[in-house]
Amino acid sequence: MGPGAHSGRMKNILDKASMDGSLVTRDFGAMVDDRVGEGVFRVERAVYTDPAVFEAEMERIYDRNWVYLCHESQVPEETSYFACEIGRQPVVVIRQPDGAIRAFLNACSHRGALLTATKQGKARTLTCRFHGWSYGCDGHCIRIKAEKEGYPEDGFDRSRYDLTQVPRVESYRGFIFGSLNPDVQPIEEYLAAAAGWIDLLVDQSPEGLEVVPGSSTYTIRGNWKMQVENSVDGHHVSTVHRVFAATVSNRDARDGTQGLAQTEGGRITGKVPSGAYDLGNGHMSIWAQHTTPERRPIWKKKDWLEATYSPAKVEWILTRGRNLAVFPNVMIMDNPSTQIRVVKPISVDRAEVTVYCIAPKGESAEARAARLRKFEDFYLTSGMATSDDMAALEDTQAGSHARAARWNDFGRGIGYMIEGPDEIAKAIGLNPVSSNITWENETLYFGFYRKWRDLMASGA
Amino acid sequence: MMDGAAGGAEVDDALRRDVSDLIYWEATLLDRRRWEEWLALFCDDAVYWVPSWKNEEETTDDPETQLNLIYLRGRSRLEDRVFRIESRDSYASMPLERTVHVVGNVLIESADHDGVSAVANCLVHSYGERGTQTRASLYDFRIRRTEAGLRIAQKKITFIDDRIAGPVDVYHL
Repeated sequence: MGPGAHSGRMKNILDKASMDGSLVTRDFGAMVDDRVGEGVFRVERAVYTDPAVFEAEMERIYDRNWVYLCHESQVPEETSYFACEIGRQPVVVIRQPDGAIRAFLNACSHRGALLTATKQGKARTLTCRFHGWSYGCDGHCIRIKAEKEGYPEDGFDRSRYDLTQVPRVESYRGFIFGSLNPDVQPIEEYLAAAAGWIDLLVDQSPEGLEVVPGSSTYTIRGNWKMQVENSVDGHHVSTVHRVFAATVSNRDARDGTQGLAQTEGGRITGKVPSGAYDLGNGHMSIWAQHTTPERRPIWKKKDWLEATYSPAKVEWILTRGRNLAVFPNVMIMDNPSTQIRVVKPISVDRAEVTVYCIAPKGESAEARAARLRKFEDFYLTSGMATSDDMAALEDTQAGSHARAARWNDFGRGIGYMIEGPDEIAKAIGLNPVSSNITWENETLYFGFYRKWRDLMASGA
Repeated sequence: MMDGAAGGAEVDDALRRDVSDLIYWEATLLDRRRWEEWLALFCDDAVYWVPSWKNEEETTDDPETQLNLIYLRGRSRLEDRVFRIESRDSYASMPLERTVHVVGNVLIESADHDGVSAVANCLVHSYGERGTQTRASLYDFRIRRTEAGLRIAQKKITFIDDRIAGPVDVYHL
């Protein structure tokens, strides 16, 4: 089925639905006030609060675009599966006996029950636990319970009950994306300059990366876009996280912690070199200089990195903490620890976030343990920084109901925006759409909201 | 595991009472915000451990190679949590949510000259900006005899939620 099959009619319904039931025409494109030439870039607060916007996003963004599914280490062997979502639609990613990775809608073709009892596992066949219909891991319907009694006709073709395949599934260096749109552009082209940022993480190990066992999922009372924005917001760090920096600095003074056991707070206090990039197609990145890069687990591989890559690339990997947001639903962080953060939209004011520690395969036991301790220090809702992010994000969601003041402002730093790459990006061939001189500036969001606007205004 | 006919180890009533009191005090001091007294219940080298869920049925079990929600070695790492709360500069901890711990099912699993291993269950009711929430945990304590009395050498908390609503700190657990 083409994802846009019924969208012409849906568009009219969606555009005319509003919270109070009145008939209005919502011009989604007009919710982004893009007048950079006049020094203005603003986004209407209703993008976070209007249920009609959310419904349209599910159809126009999540059903048509590339969406991150999982990391290849989460489907390590043949018949390994991983259950996840494209927007709100359940899908299951399965590694085939020939090693290829495919994904299917995770719903029995009969009456729609989920086909996986657990989020991850191994299954040569998927058997519906409701009526017992079975599917091969290639999606073919292979057994219908009491088939003859139910479908006695000659030449009955069971294949009409094959699972609906996600038409496009591609991996970029281990990060697996899927799209319900068969005509979506190739993943590497879609990732644009973000591919180079993924390379900076993947190139840290010749053996590749792996998701470490254990994860955490938390629900936020906020719109999914708030989580994406927060993940690449450099401007909040020295306010929201100054207490984290104070806490770890107090710890180091008190306990005399040394080396990898220390969590670096220097980046957080501000006043270090930093930058922000619009990577194209809605992807974004920020970085800030590590004041104590020798405390990072990857420092253990400094010699290997220097023997393998150019000095400019080694400098990027070792000394610049990076947050990457890949439109629309995954963030990849390489800071004191390393993280994949997946956001799942639930409703206009709810999202579910799952975080994983991603690490170079084959790193030393000391580096792995240090990476985990730094992750737990900062990144979790039970940690000492992500919890503060969550509280700030939820206050921003609550404040977005102040619609008598219509706009959120993203214009900070327009005057310092550099078209294309800055010097340090050029040095290793990274090619962002625009750069900015500090991560405090917000011009990276122009790319995110232009992509959002273009998809949302595209209608049918 | 359990060697008493009714579950739990054969221990005298005085020890049973002292262990239960320690566990109840620990929860009470969190609810009453008596942070310094709370910290004083832990040994210097105490381990405070909240594993994450590896899958639907198992938590992580090796902190050196697997992810935890919280894994702190040494009482001083608990002091970090108190430092942050008392700073009044943590967005998630200002204002502080109100909490009420209800601890039950306290059982001593084993006892030796060094101390005891005890289990308990805990329900934490909290109230704050997010409204009211109830969270549940299984507690596994290692309690050590010291000159100053019984002290907590390890508190392992199996937090049963794996979709966590809102920030979670030591006083929610």
